[in-house]
Amino acid sequence: MKYILHGIFWIGLYLLLVLAPLFVLILAPAPPGNGFVHDLSMALGFAGAAMMAVMFVLTARFKRATAPFGIDLIYYFHRQIALVALLFVVAHPVLLLMNDPGLWPYLHPAVSPLYLDAGVGSLLALLALVGASLWRKRFGIHYDGWRLWHVILAIVSLPLAIYHIRGFGYYVNMPWKHGLWTLIPLSCLLIVLYVRLLKPAQLRRHPYRVTAVQQERGDAWTLTLRPDGHAGFTFEPGQFAWLTLWHSPFALKEHPFSIASSAEESPQIRFTIKELGDFTRRIGTVQPDQLAYVDAPYGAFSIDRLQAPGYVFIAGGIGIVPIVSMLRTLADRRDRRPLLLFYGYSSWERLTLREDLEALQQRLDLKVVYVLGEPHAGWTGETGMLTTDLLARHLPPEKTELEYLICGPVPMIHAVERSLSVCGISLMRIHSELFDLV
Amino acid sequence: MRLWLAKILALITGLLILALAVLFALLQNS
Repeated sequence: MKYILHGIFWIGLYLLLVLAPLFVLILAPAPPGNGFVHDLSMALGFAGAAMMAVMFVLTARFKRATAPFGIDLIYYFHRQIALVALLFVVAHPVLLLMNDPGLWPYLHPAVSPLYLDAGVGSLLALLALVGASLWRKRFGIHYDGWRLWHVILAIVSLPLAIYHIRGFGYYVNMPWKHGLWTLIPLSCLLIVLYVRLLKPAQLRRHPYRVTAVQQERGDAWTLTLRPDGHAGFTFEPGQFAWLTLWHSPFALKEHPFSIASSAEESPQIRFTIKELGDFTRRIGTVQPDQLAYVDAPYGAFSIDRLQAPGYVFIAGGIGIVPIVSMLRTLADRRDRRPLLLFYGYSSWERLTLREDLEALQQRLDLKVVYVLGEPHAGWTGETGMLTTDLLARHLPPEKTELEYLICGPVPMIHAVERSLSVCGISLMRIHSELFDLV
Repeated sequence: MRLWLAKILALITGLLILALAVLFALLQNS
């Protein structure tokens, strides 16, 4: 209930921030209109700029604001709302030019005023930023490079948009409106300073040391870390952290990973990381005693937020990691509630943390259903995809009273959510964790 | 469920903005 009320508060605040410039446009005295389409275009331009500014707040990882939702959902929302913002920002010049084709010549660099160049620059930066995010993998853009340019383009795009608004000046013709459009970029600048300087400085004062590096099945590695000179942090099982290795926290080289260890095991923490990209392929080269920086905890995907007589976990591939954290925690707490785990992976030999799951079965009332995509000869268990029929075969009679936690690739999450709904499970009982968003 | 909530909130935000933008354009030109 606490998280629901907090969530409603933060959604309300978000809407207030995004809609504020439009309320100012509507309620404050304004100069005469210039036709419906022209003024609609202006309003969409203002709204687009406000949405761009609020993106800085959305992605600043403020723990209190993100706690009710889980930061994975905030980033998912960021991705969706960015497309809406881009639509409005693009609609602004398109509507203007459609409404008055006589404006086209003003776009020529030789005659265009500087504020118009700024507007075009802002739009191009935004297009590049969104395009690179949508098609990063297709373009083969390295994650670290993408992230750096994402930040740079965002930081460039917003001031250009604000300069464009103030330079044109028609609907910001009063000193307090000028003040508002000065306050917005200043607030964003403060957020950038907090995220890029203050927070990394805090992380650097609270380093971690790698105490063990262990190879796992399925091209994965488990890193064990201990806080170096501080008390570490507590977390809810299933949450995740941003991990920096080989670099200072100022270097923008952090990557999100689910915590694999039990919440009862802190301050020691473990991460199990699969070799998937340029960063993760180097995980096996991490040396004991190496420095690491951990920004945590984040995420809302946890049994600690869900009271239930039992749980059903559904994992695809390395999505098993936060679920193992929850199982380890339940085992450490000597929890005897019934647990059911569906674990889909390619093959028996590659099942990451398989032995850990088998050990956990001795300590918990846990049934594991392995679902193999490439079963070996003689395999008598489940095969193929996590289909509705497969889930229905194993769900217990009291299935509607249980809570369901799914972690894996987005298409798998969608498919399993649909299947569970067909099986009669309320959507309110289905919870998912996203990864691999960009 | 959560993903749909995020999509719906994005849609509602977009529609609210569009409605207010249309309202502003109408008021300016009425």
